[in-house]
Amino acid sequence: MMNPVNEAHRLHLLHSVLCAVNLGAIVLDNERRVVLWNSWMIKHSGLGHDKVIGADFFTVCPGLRGGRMEAAIQQALYNNFPSLLSQTLNKAPFVLHASPVTAARNERIQQAVEVTPIAVEGAPRHCLIQINDVSIAVGREKLLREQAMVLRSQTFADGLTGIANRRHFDVAMEKEHRRAKRGGTPLSLLMIDIDHFKAYNDHYGHQKGDQCLIQVAAALAGMLKRPCDLMARYGGEEFAMVLPETDVEQATVMAEAIRARAQELAIPHERNNGELPQITVSIGIATQKVDTAVEIETLIGAADRALYLAKRNGRNRIESMLPA
Amino acid sequence: MFSLSELETDALIEIFNIGVGQAAASMSAIVNETVRMSVPSVSFINRTDAARLLDGKAPEAGAICGVSQHYEGAFSTEAILMFPEDKSLEIVRLMVGESVPLKELTEMEQEAMCEIGNIILNSCVGTLANIFQRELHGSLPEYHIGTSDEILIASGSRHDTVVLMLHIDFVLEKHQIHGYVAFVLDISALHDLKEQINLYIARAMGQA
Repeated sequence: MMNPVNEAHRLHLLHSVLCAVNLGAIVLDNERRVVLWNSWMIKHSGLGHDKVIGADFFTVCPGLRGGRMEAAIQQALYNNFPSLLSQTLNKAPFVLHASPVTAARNERIQQAVEVTPIAVEGAPRHCLIQINDVSIAVGREKLLREQAMVLRSQTFADGLTGIANRRHFDVAMEKEHRRAKRGGTPLSLLMIDIDHFKAYNDHYGHQKGDQCLIQVAAALAGMLKRPCDLMARYGGEEFAMVLPETDVEQATVMAEAIRARAQELAIPHERNNGELPQITVSIGIATQKVDTAVEIETLIGAADRALYLAKRNGRNRIESMLPA
Repeated sequence: MFSLSELETDALIEIFNIGVGQAAASMSAIVNETVRMSVPSVSFINRTDAARLLDGKAPEAGAICGVSQHYEGAFSTEAILMFPEDKSLEIVRLMVGESVPLKELTEMEQEAMCEIGNIILNSCVGTLANIFQRELHGSLPEYHIGTSDEILIASGSRHDTVVLMLHIDFVLEKHQIHGYVAFVLDISALHDLKEQINLYIARAMGQA
């Protein structure tokens, strides 16, 4: 048995500890009245003891009524079960601010909350609400997530031109091919190649060659309007365009517009082999019709052959082939 | 091996479906979308078989993600919600509505998984406590990752301990995910359970 002096000392010590801990602590009695509200809570909520002690918890925190917090309190007081409210699924339930500056910006402390039942001698069960400040962890994860996204987009982007790379093309083609088959929609593929690009590189040098690729890629990719369309760098000076829900006629209109756009750039090319002395492109079109689905390789093969035909027929032109 | 009659099993399935129904309602309220959960079956197996059942479902995925809570009172039990790790990623990211290009749950996502486990386990054990018409006291949820045997061992049980396994179906936004809740019970609790189920059946039939 503890003597009364020690008991008083112990209570005083516990009180000091509760005030010193770096987390929010609230105790509610069985009637959901606030019986304890520690210093951390006063500091971050701006509500002093005069406003909260003895008051109904949901009058003090009206925003929490009817939500997950009320259910958790219910679980603790009446079922004796503890609850956890994660920051991820419950965005900052309590109105708590780190400082007056963040309060002015209406920026709440990020919170992880635990509600646990407390057995009290000689009284119906109470519950303890603990609030942890997880703002730092949330910030760290936001950074991690953003960097992971950047990293991922880099592995899908072509290092030189910034448009989608071959890997991205393969993934998109796979996805759109499946979607076209399932949805019964046509799918078109354009293969675009810069005419006499080797001669351009030999004459102007690789730096100019790279600039030409960047300029052409940006201009052509800029012509895509729908989010499902994709232009990728397929190889050296060859680009591929995936056009879902696009039939042969629409693909032909698009290809013609692309051919004209490349010419419009008016990039000088003196060694364009006696043809127009500027950069031009040849385009091969292949379309998978609704009723005749083919393998991805067959579609790519048809677009390749159409491109070859466009080259053979004089370049700066478009040709199409049926995949078979 | 401990077993229940067909009628007793059906009654237990019905009881747990009420429990997870409440959990699904709580989760729907969090995500503002319909979450459906059901318990299509329950079984009593020993711990070793339970581990085999879980690992067998996900041979390529490997790790199992578990959320456990310890309950004490009229009887004591370790309740563990378990999903293959890739499914736990799917659940959390569906609930959070954000896709993160990472292969593991981040610290915050683990905490969210703990909350999901907390909601499901509290509702299941709450229902159990209701059938027993007694009160239990629970601990806060803990997150585990490992093989199912490692997770089940963490409960301190012997390999021949009987595990009450609930098969749980979780449906959110056209995704259907299968998981398990394991209750590690001692034999006297099991016999109590059987007795209480029969009282429940008698009450339901208006004979009590």
